[in-house]
Amino acid sequence: MRNRLMLLGSLSVGVLTFTLTVSAQAPKGATPPPQAANAKPADLSGDWAPDGRRGGIGQSLSVSDIRGTKRGAEDDIPYLPWAREKTMSERTSTGPDPQFGNTTDPQVLYCEPPGVPHIYLWPIKHRFVQTPEAVYILHELGPFYRVVWMNAKHPEDPDPQWWGHSIGWYENGDTLVVDTIGFTDKTWLDQMGHPHTEQLHLTERYKRVDANTLELRMVIDDPGAYSKPWNAERNFTMSKTGFLRYQQICSVRENKRFEDNLAKPALNK
Amino acid sequence: MTNKPLISRACAGLIALTIGLLATSAPLRAHHGATNVYDFSKPVVLKGTITKFEWLNPHNQIYFDVTDEKGTVSHWIAATEPPQVMLERGWTRRSLKEGDEVTVYIFAAKNGAKVGNLQKIVLADGKELTAAGAPAAAAPAK
Repeated sequence: MRNRLMLLGSLSVGVLTFTLTVSAQAPKGATPPPQAANAKPADLSGDWAPDGRRGGIGQSLSVSDIRGTKRGAEDDIPYLPWAREKTMSERTSTGPDPQFGNTTDPQVLYCEPPGVPHIYLWPIKHRFVQTPEAVYILHELGPFYRVVWMNAKHPEDPDPQWWGHSIGWYENGDTLVVDTIGFTDKTWLDQMGHPHTEQLHLTERYKRVDANTLELRMVIDDPGAYSKPWNAERNFTMSKTGFLRYQQICSVRENKRFEDNLAKPALNK
Repeated sequence: MTNKPLISRACAGLIALTIGLLATSAPLRAHHGATNVYDFSKPVVLKGTITKFEWLNPHNQIYFDVTDEKGTVSHWIAATEPPQVMLERGWTRRSLKEGDEVTVYIFAAKNGAKVGNLQKIVLADGKELTAAGAPAAAAPAK
């Protein structure tokens, strides 16, 4: 009996410790600064295409290695050991060593949402629908959309979800700041297999530089995978050709047809 | 984080090509996932007849027949980038139709299969439809 009580006690302590540990690891996210509610909104209207003159879409979030040629050895990604090993264990479908027919990219394998920032590594356009309550970011892929709750707070304990929980505010009359926590760990950050955990805290700053230019600066803060926050960026130009003229949907059935007709024959030895 | 199980090689192959093409900007051959599968050193030039043009995800598919001097007909399939990218390059689902006499420039599979990635098509009237390029939504990296 005494042994059973000790075992029960140990289990309870273990569960409590685990719970506290998990709780301590949950990202807090930011809160809007007090003056944000009265800030002048940035004008993000228009359709935004990847800026080919300044990086394009690339395959990697690494600013120093946008094509993924130094995967695992980028000088601007502060991997924790497991994250580096995980990255190197993945088989990418693009980049310098595409594992044609054998990739482990979950977005490719399962038609799962790419999440953010991965969505910005696709050849698609993006549109911002701005209201006082929320900014809706529409993407030509999926078509997926995100909701950025303006001048709001994150839940205390957000459920992990594909696109996380986003809040936002304006700064300087030209910038939308988006703060996101509550991610699942199921997506890759980019197409080179960089992982993240549920501790990911992503900060995006969308700055309207001029009539035709939108800059996105990101801070990836994930103590579960990286030893310190690191920076990434993408740039966009105004597009006048129209939004969502075709719905880029990942369909297993259409993929299968393409596979049977083109991919398989090309792969046969 | 857990390792993801593998799906069938075939399915992954398709999607790899899909993503490769989607994630690619011009020039097409520069960095899409099929550089080890197709010969991008130079296109094969084929005169043929369109038998079908499929405008769909993940890639448009162009079916055409090529008849050699002995009268033997071979069936070819060329892929382009996804519809939304091709729209940016001036294509529509009506750009090609069954019966069109065309000259096809195709980066063919290295293994000899009659499939490949389209570089361009020249119609009988001389109109040229280019598959590569720098669309607004997928411009090249500097």
